Amino acid sequence: MKVKLENFKAAVKTLTEQFGMSHLSTITGIDSGENIDVHYHFWKGDVITSVKVSVPKSSRHVPSIIEIVPGAILYEMEVHDMFGVFFDGNPWMDRRLLLPDNYPQDLAPPLLKQTKPADIRKAVGVER
Amino acid sequence: MNACSCNGCDIELVAALTPKYDAERFGAVLVPSPRHADVLVVTGVVNPQTKDRLIRIYEQMPEPKYVLAIGACACGGGVFKGCYNAGQGIDNILPVDMFVPGCPPRPEAILYGLIQLLAKVKGNGQSK
Amino acid sequence: MAERRETRKEAGAGLIQYSTENLVPFGPIHPALKEPEYFKLYLRGEMIVDVVPRIGYVHRGLEKAAEQRRWTQNTFMFERTCGICSFAHSLAYVQAVEGLTPYEVPRRGLYIRLIVAELERIHSHLLWVGLLGHWAGFDTLFMWVWRDREIVLDLVEAIAGNRIHKSIAAIAGVKRDIPDSMKNKIVERTKYLADRAYFYKHIVDTESTLLARTRKVGNLKAETAQKLCAVGPLVRCAGLARDVRADDPYAAYGDVPIDVVTRTEGDVHSLLHLRLDELVVSANAIDYALEHMPSGPVRLKIPPTIPAGEYASHVEAPRGELFYFVKSGGGPNPERVKVRTPTLANLPTALELLKGYTMADVPVVLTAIDPCFGCMDRLSFVDLDSQKQWTWTGEELRQFGIRYYFPERTI
Repeated sequence: MKVKLENFKAAVKTLTEQFGMSHLSTITGIDSGENIDVHYHFWKGDVITSVKVSVPKSSRHVPSIIEIVPGAILYEMEVHDMFGVFFDGNPWMDRRLLLPDNYPQDLAPPLLKQTKPADIRKAVGVER
Repeated sequence: MNACSCNGCDIELVAALTPKYDAERFGAVLVPSPRHADVLVVTGVVNPQTKDRLIRIYEQMPEPKYVLAIGACACGGGVFKGCYNAGQGIDNILPVDMFVPGCPPRPEAILYGLIQLLAKVKGNGQSK
Repeated sequence: MAERRETRKEAGAGLIQYSTENLVPFGPIHPALKEPEYFKLYLRGEMIVDVVPRIGYVHRGLEKAAEQRRWTQNTFMFERTCGICSFAHSLAYVQAVEGLTPYEVPRRGLYIRLIVAELERIHSHLLWVGLLGHWAGFDTLFMWVWRDREIVLDLVEAIAGNRIHKSIAAIAGVKRDIPDSMKNKIVERTKYLADRAYFYKHIVDTESTLLARTRKVGNLKAETAQKLCAVGPLVRCAGLARDVRADDPYAAYGDVPIDVVTRTEGDVHSLLHLRLDELVVSANAIDYALEHMPSGPVRLKIPPTIPAGEYASHVEAPRGELFYFVKSGGGPNPERVKVRTPTLANLPTALELLKGYTMADVPVVLTAIDPCFGCMDRLSFVDLDSQKQWTWTGEELRQFGIRYYFPERTI
C-alpha cells in the first residue's frame, strides 16, 4: 500500500491502532532510480501488509515512527546505514549500526545501485 | 576467535571438544585468554570491524605461536568472495600454519588438522 | 538477592530509554582502550542502567552480493548467514522467490521441508540449553546436551548429506527425498530425544546452580515484548502466543498440528522450559509428518529467470520470525533481497531486559535471547559513578558471574 509522505505517519497510526497490526517485521529500503522506496512490513495473523513511502534521493527524510512502534528503532538505523535515509525523530541517527567504523564518509551508502562493491572493498581494506 | 563467521565452524569446533570427539586427548584445551594460548584458532571471513581485534589478539600471544584457520571462509573467503565487507582469507592478515577447509569442516577434520599442526610443530621444533 | 530484583524499578526501567540525557559524558578515551565493543553497558554501582549496542561484527554485505548472484546461487549464500538456523534462511529465501512464480511446490517437498526445519529447531534448542548451562556455570549439562545434539546431526546428515549447512532447500522443492526405509530410524531417535527433553526439564527444576541463576532473572512483560516487536521463544515466554507456524502456516504446517507453547513468567528459567517443551512438540511433528507424508515428486524444474514483482515471506526459525523480502526485475539475478534475522528483532528487548540487573546476570540474560557467538565475545563496561571503563571478554564475564553467585566454587 503506497502512501504519500505527508500521510505516512497517520497511516501507520491507523494500521497499528485501528487494525491492531502493531508488529513491525522490518523496514526495507529499495533504490528505484530517482527515489528511494521505503517499505514498512507489518505482520498480524496470516497477513503481511507493507506500507510504502518514496523519498527523492535529493532529500532523504522520512519521519521516524518510534513513538508509535518503538521496535522500529534499529530497522530505521539499518536503512540509514545502507541508503543514507534520515529518520527525523530517531535519536540514533548519528551512529552506525552495521557498517564498519572505517567506512568513508564521502563514499555513497552501500545499497545504492551506483555504489560498486569493489570500491567499498578498497575503501575499508578487505581487498587481497 | 570468531572473526565474522556464521558460527557453523564454531559449533563444529566446540563439538570437537565434547566427549564424542574429545580434542583433549591430543592435549588441546580451550583457554580464556590469548596470553595463555599456543594456538589461535580462527573462523570467519574477517571483516573490517574484527580485523584489528584479530591482530591484537595475535600480538598478545606469547611465542611460540601458531594459527589454525578453520573453514572455507578463513581459508579464502568462502561463499562470501566478493562481498563488500568480507575479507578474502585470514592469510591476508596473519601467518597461517594450517588450513582446514570445509563448510563447515567436520569435527574429525578439525582434529585431523590439529594433529597435522602438532606433527608439523614437532618436526620444526620452533615457530616461524 | 531479593533486594536486587526490587531495585530494578528504581533503575527507571521504562519502555525505551534511548535518550542519553542521564549519561555523563566521558573525557578522551585512551587510544589503547579504543577497541570495538559489541555492547557498552553503563553501570551505577553494580546495577546496569543503560546499554548501547554496536553490532556489525558479522556484517559481510550479503544483501548487496545477492544482487550480483543468480537466484539459485543465493540459496547457498543465504544459508551461510547463520550456521544454526541455516535451513530457515534458505527456506525463507526460496519461499519468497516462489511467491513471485506461479509454481506450486509438490506436497511431498513441503513435508520434507517441515521435517528438516523441525530437526533444525531441535538442534538449535539443544545447543542453546547446553550453552546456557555453560554460561551459568553448569558444564555437565552442556556436555550431556551436546552429546544428544550429535544424534540430531547424524539424522540431518542421513537426510541432507551435510551436518550443518543442509543445502537441501531449492526453489520449487527440495533436493533430496527421504526414503521410506529411513522412517523408522528417524522416529526411534525423535522419541529418544523427546524423553531426554523431559529429563532435562527435571534437571532445570531441581539443579540448584541453574535455579539460582535463571529463576526470576529477566522480567519480560508481554506488553514490552509487543511494543519492541520481539519474536520467537522470547515473546512466547511472556505470554504472547506468536508463532509463524501457527499464525501464517507455510510448508506443510497447515496439515501438521503444532502446539504453540507459551509461558507467563517471562524469566530465563521459563525460557528453558519453553524451549524444551518446543523440542517435544517438534519431535511429535516430525513423527506425524513422516506418518502422513504424501507420495510424489519433491521438486519442480523451473526456468532460471524469475518473473518481476515483490514478495515477502517469513518462517519461524528456532530463534523467532525470520523475514525475507525479495524484488525481481524479471532477470536471472534478484534486484533486492532483504533479510531480517530474529536476533536483530530481539535486540531492543534484550537491552531493555538487562537494565536493573547486575554484571553477573549479563551472560545469562544475553544468552536468553539466543545471540550469535560473536556477539558475546566482547563487552565494554562503564561505571558512571567512578568513571572507570573496562572491557571484558565473554569468558572473563562468565567467570565473574560464577564467582559472584557461587563464591565457594573454584573454577
